[in-house]
Amino acid sequence: MDAARRDVLRALMASGCAAGLGGVTGLGALGSPCPVFAQDEAVGPAIAAPGTSDLPLTPARWWKALDEGRVECGLCPKKCRVADLERGACGVRENRGGKYFTLVHSRPCSLNLDPIEKKPLYHVLPGTASLSLATPGCNLQCRFCQNWEIAQARPEQVPTFVLTPAQAAALAVQRRAPTIACTYTEPVVYAEYVHDIAVAARKANVRTVMVSNGAIMEEPLDDLMGVLAAVKIDLKAYTEKFYKEVCGGELKPVLDTLRRLKKKGMWIEIVVLVIPTLNDGEEEARGLARFVRGDLGPEVPVHFTRFHPAYRIQNLPRTPVATLERARDIAMAEGLQFVYVGNVAGHPGNHTYCPGCGEMLIRRVGLAVTDIRLTAGRCPKCRRAIPGIWSVA
Amino acid sequence: MKDCDRDRRRLLRLLVAAPAAAAAAVGAAAVGAARAAGKSGAAGAAAIPGPAPSPRSAPARAVVARGRRDGLLDESGAIDRARLDDLLGAVVARAAATATPVAAMKRLFRPSDVVGLKVNALAGGGPAPTPALVGRLCDWLQEAGVPARNIVVFDRTDRELTGAGFTINRGPTGVRCFGTNQEYDWTPREWGPGGSCFAKILVDDITALINVGALKDHDLAGVSVGLKNWYGVIHNPNKHHDDGCQPFIPHLAAYPLIGDRLRLTVIDGTRAQCHGGPARSPRWIWPWQGVIASTDPVAVDAVGWAMIETRRREVGLPSLAASKREPRYIATAASLGLGVADMKKIAIEEI
Repeated sequence: MDAARRDVLRALMASGCAAGLGGVTGLGALGSPCPVFAQDEAVGPAIAAPGTSDLPLTPARWWKALDEGRVECGLCPKKCRVADLERGACGVRENRGGKYFTLVHSRPCSLNLDPIEKKPLYHVLPGTASLSLATPGCNLQCRFCQNWEIAQARPEQVPTFVLTPAQAAALAVQRRAPTIACTYTEPVVYAEYVHDIAVAARKANVRTVMVSNGAIMEEPLDDLMGVLAAVKIDLKAYTEKFYKEVCGGELKPVLDTLRRLKKKGMWIEIVVLVIPTLNDGEEEARGLARFVRGDLGPEVPVHFTRFHPAYRIQNLPRTPVATLERARDIAMAEGLQFVYVGNVAGHPGNHTYCPGCGEMLIRRVGLAVTDIRLTAGRCPKCRRAIPGIWSVA
Repeated sequence: MKDCDRDRRRLLRLLVAAPAAAAAAVGAAAVGAARAAGKSGAAGAAAIPGPAPSPRSAPARAVVARGRRDGLLDESGAIDRARLDDLLGAVVARAAATATPVAAMKRLFRPSDVVGLKVNALAGGGPAPTPALVGRLCDWLQEAGVPARNIVVFDRTDRELTGAGFTINRGPTGVRCFGTNQEYDWTPREWGPGGSCFAKILVDDITALINVGALKDHDLAGVSVGLKNWYGVIHNPNKHHDDGCQPFIPHLAAYPLIGDRLRLTVIDGTRAQCHGGPARSPRWIWPWQGVIASTDPVAVDAVGWAMIETRRREVGLPSLAASKREPRYIATAASLGLGVADMKKIAIEEI
């Protein structure tokens, strides 16, 4: 009981920092003995942008020419057929005279130092900072988009600045971030930039991770898998109806992406944003859990996270915590080993437990990691190996 | 009053105040986060629930004025301004059932209106409204009493406008002319099947609209005449291209910011294009040298579509239906009560 109260107090303190009340040392400012492994610098002064610039035209990869100057994009399952001077559904790739270009390579709109827990990637270097960036644009159009001001915008509608892949890698080293996260919007639409960042980062001994909706074709996915360290997939729901009506996309290609990532040995985690009345059914949670267990493996972490009204869905309430707990219970009953409750600070479902003995292995409060008990990637109590990326080296 | 009652009330006040304070803190954080992320506009703005348009009472018949003049384009491709004046004036007057174009403007607009002329400048130098034509419309508006400052010529980007020959004017005097692609009202609005932020000038300033479109083929929608032009006032046109832009185009045109303000549609057919659009494709451009106008936005599209089909037949191209690009949205627009799509109910008055 006391422990729970302390957790809530810590979470409130963390929120205070997020609201700009602290922002430097977090819990440590009050003399708390709890270590803070990563500090969210998303608020307060962000990393200074080097300066704005006009949109560049960088040749796109993954497309083919059609007749009469049109092109077909080969990046995502929409396979947009784009006439001259038109753009694909993502809004960031344009046909100019029969050739396809990306308008956002090396032109991010967001750049922050986040805890990697914010992605969330709970099994990747917990408690470390991740240099997080995004360009404008997305290939879906989720009505609940949490970052719609940048994800649902075209690049000329959002201030951007120049940051080359080499500069991103150098910045990560300078900020002692062992990872660069391509996140916030949809990295698939800036896949060339992701790829080039990952190549540059690797030379600097920095890993690159991607936070994606998974709507990507095989060829670009394979190219990215060759250079990425981990991928978090937002599985929007487990029904085609939801994907079509709420996201303007399809479920099947996302499931195919998950299977392909797993088959190739990529570390993956899955987030499901649970929205009241739209994708919160018990049968849907069960079906999803069975897919993960059967097609991907029970060790793949699944995060059921809380919805807050945003963008075009303002008429639904926040997800009741009980709904998230029920989804978690169902998934664990189906045999998944690492199931989390997200966007609910201080909830016991934030922590990582050993699936063998139940020992708490990683303790989290909000975005902060307050305790890591893993020993060389193993449970200290029963010595069971816990899957994930635990070592910077 | 008992102390315990007072305490209870104090406690209730505190409980009521607490969420407000928390909300303020969260709001501040949201704004901070938005700024950190380089976002503009109101973070977390509530979406305005948007109606699927209630069907209007569809008009029974429509009048479309149409005219062309040989020699409107000289051998160098320049516009003969005298011919344009004569032709455009007659077409606009007929569309509004008046004797002169100035009378037409007086009939359709009040001096207190802020009149927006949405041009479709994408294919500048080809099938796109010419500055000469748009300039004459602005002249007549002023003669009808609308101050120059209250006339706004706009499209998505300065680049497209200058590419079509327009001169950008964001200054304090004269007719304004600029791209709106960085100036949106960042409040998502639902418009039936779609949702968008609209150009700020349309939300905050403009009270009446003239749609100045082109006569051209469109790779996805089939044709781009008048209705398709409204994609240029929303921040996310690329999200509404599925299924031949159907039913997005008519629902957008019916949204009150557009539907309640549109008074006149004028199509610049100086140069038209029957294939390879929406960008300029010289091979398929023909110098039709004409103008179409109507107060019925659907009838204009129906007439324009028929003309493009005719031209396609003449040059040996398959019909848009055969190409699986039939502009079905025109019939949908009629079903929403926006105008008349049935050619049998459209009186084309040739000038």
